[in-house]
Amino acid sequence: MTTAPPLASQAAAPKPRPEIVVRGRRIPVVLPKKSDPRLKLSATIWTLTFLGLTVLSFQVSIPQIAVTVLLSALIEVGVTYRREHVLVWPASALQTGISVAFIFRVAGMRHGDWWSVRSLPIFAFVAVISLLPKYLIRHNNRHIFNPSNIGLAWALLMFGPSHVFSEHLWWAPLGVPILISFAVIFGGAFWVLRQVKMIPLATAFLATFLPIIGLFALFGRTYWAGWHHGPVGGSFYWLTIALSPEVLIFTFFMITDPQTAPKSKLGRLIYASLTAVVCAALILPQTTEFGIKVAILSSLLVTCALVPAIERLVKCIEARRSPEVAASEAPKLPLARRLAVGLRNPVLVVVTVIAIAAPLNTLLLSRDSKVELIERGLTTRTVQ
Amino acid sequence: MTAPVETVAANVARGSGSPGGTRPVRWVLAWIAVLAVTFTAVVGSNVFGLRDHFFEPATPDARPPALGRVAGGAQVDGADGAPTSLRSQPWWQEVKALEGTGTMTAPAFTIAEGAAQWRVKGTCRSGKIVVRSPSQARPVVDSLCPGEVTGFGSRSGPVSLQVTADGPWKLSVAQLIDTPLVEPLLPAMTAPGSKAIASGSFYNIDKSGTGRATVYEQADGRYSVRLDDFFVSPHADLQLRFSTLEAPRTSKEYRSAKSEFIVVMDVTAGSLNYTVPSGGDPTLYKSVVVWSSAVNRAYAAAPLGLVR
Repeated sequence: MTTAPPLASQAAAPKPRPEIVVRGRRIPVVLPKKSDPRLKLSATIWTLTFLGLTVLSFQVSIPQIAVTVLLSALIEVGVTYRREHVLVWPASALQTGISVAFIFRVAGMRHGDWWSVRSLPIFAFVAVISLLPKYLIRHNNRHIFNPSNIGLAWALLMFGPSHVFSEHLWWAPLGVPILISFAVIFGGAFWVLRQVKMIPLATAFLATFLPIIGLFALFGRTYWAGWHHGPVGGSFYWLTIALSPEVLIFTFFMITDPQTAPKSKLGRLIYASLTAVVCAALILPQTTEFGIKVAILSSLLVTCALVPAIERLVKCIEARRSPEVAASEAPKLPLARRLAVGLRNPVLVVVTVIAIAAPLNTLLLSRDSKVELIERGLTTRTVQ
Repeated sequence: MTAPVETVAANVARGSGSPGGTRPVRWVLAWIAVLAVTFTAVVGSNVFGLRDHFFEPATPDARPPALGRVAGGAQVDGADGAPTSLRSQPWWQEVKALEGTGTMTAPAFTIAEGAAQWRVKGTCRSGKIVVRSPSQARPVVDSLCPGEVTGFGSRSGPVSLQVTADGPWKLSVAQLIDTPLVEPLLPAMTAPGSKAIASGSFYNIDKSGTGRATVYEQADGRYSVRLDDFFVSPHADLQLRFSTLEAPRTSKEYRSAKSEFIVVMDVTAGSLNYTVPSGGDPTLYKSVVVWSSAVNRAYAAAPLGLVR
């Protein structure tokens, strides 16, 4: 008989965990797994960024991308190490960083300024305000807002259209570069969303959003964009919003963040449809591309803030369907008591401020005549 | 991948949110963060012009346009004086004509708040002329006569010039402003027998251009061009020209065809009138182009369609 150890115990042998030694202290290192969907998402956005830098006329530089990505990563590594004494590969922060750099733009940049160091502090600021809410604004041990979404929306609203903007809704005339981009977006979406089971959510958003935008186009809504002579209207209005690469990225890679979306299937469908409705409602009064892009980003801030309410609603619906669930529910505090408790909770207050200010400020943009002048090219943005 | 992260805010929330909890410093920090977010939200709303105050925009606040080439002229019917944020290439607007003999205090005039500077230009016949403004230490003009004199001032508001001269003099005061100019139609455009013969809307070529161009055939046989709600990216010495091309799309394309000079545009925004130089025949051309000879670029163009 052989004395070879049984196969099972061989398989169960613990794998040595990677670690580094700093001044005699062993620090465990957690590296990403190949199956991590965030790596797939990063690969998709990095590919699009490369296309943007080369054939799609993106007005962003390599230092701007580097600062945003590296600072985001540094913040996440630092925070995680401080809390857990482990060096964790900052997959989420890298994703946030590249998403911000992919979308965020500052005035005065031209395509091909690859080594421009213009406005690096602004990019750094956006990286910080994207990452901080992830650690500071949490509910049930989950962050409430999608990091890149809150950073982008807040920075665009705060600095204003005179200084910053986000990548155009329509990247280039219909041609090979834009078709390749669509292929990357749809391919990446299928690759990522299938794994995280978010295809129904994205579909629910598009199924609600596309017809509403179609109605807007039908009723003669138009908007001004710097890349188009005259107002964008009719079928082109629908096409450039509904099938905008920016909107598709928002749909496939922002609202589908499993960390900020509801957990239940029904909750996700409600959340997606509600995001589409809020998004359309904020787009309706906008007459500029800047306003529309901020409206899209702000809509997600509203619905992310409402996720706990959506989850409670789903529980109520489920409780009506099954009495056992209803019986297990803890008795609720009176409304006045809940409000009093809520007002003493800074997280709740800050979420409320963000959820109200973002759409309100977006609506105020539609009343700002200067935004239209900027988009029409009749006045300039302020170069930093 | 990450273990539960204890946050400042979450700690506060769990610690019943009171400063009497275990971590009062964190409680204070959390509320400072709330205030910071609220402050940035208010800045983002731009109420009270807060965002414009902190992050000054390139787009100026709306101001009424100038309603004539002479300041303070009576408003003409039909001229749209709605405030606008659009700005023209700076241009000289006449403010006051002054005339006298010898030493005197000239009648006061007012320089507009937004004027970059003002100018005194004129002639004197004999001896010497010194023009002083009480707000300036150095004389505005200090010249020997006879000859042409020029001087500049920069203070806005009421100005009263003290002229010291040995003989007769004539001075014209003008202010440099960048507001659009809204002129009424020329009388020759509305006179019996005059008619609009062609018009079209401006589109961008290398810069931005908007508005409408209309060519008039006047009763006296001459031609004039009216630009309505016009704007072109400001630049000095832009020329308005006719082109034989129907709709030039590039500067190169424009240069390849015959064109005819109409005028050098001192004002680049508003509703403006220009008379075509005598002998000019717009019927030979198909578009109007704004051209910069300084940078060799066509800024904008308007195709001229027949007016029926």
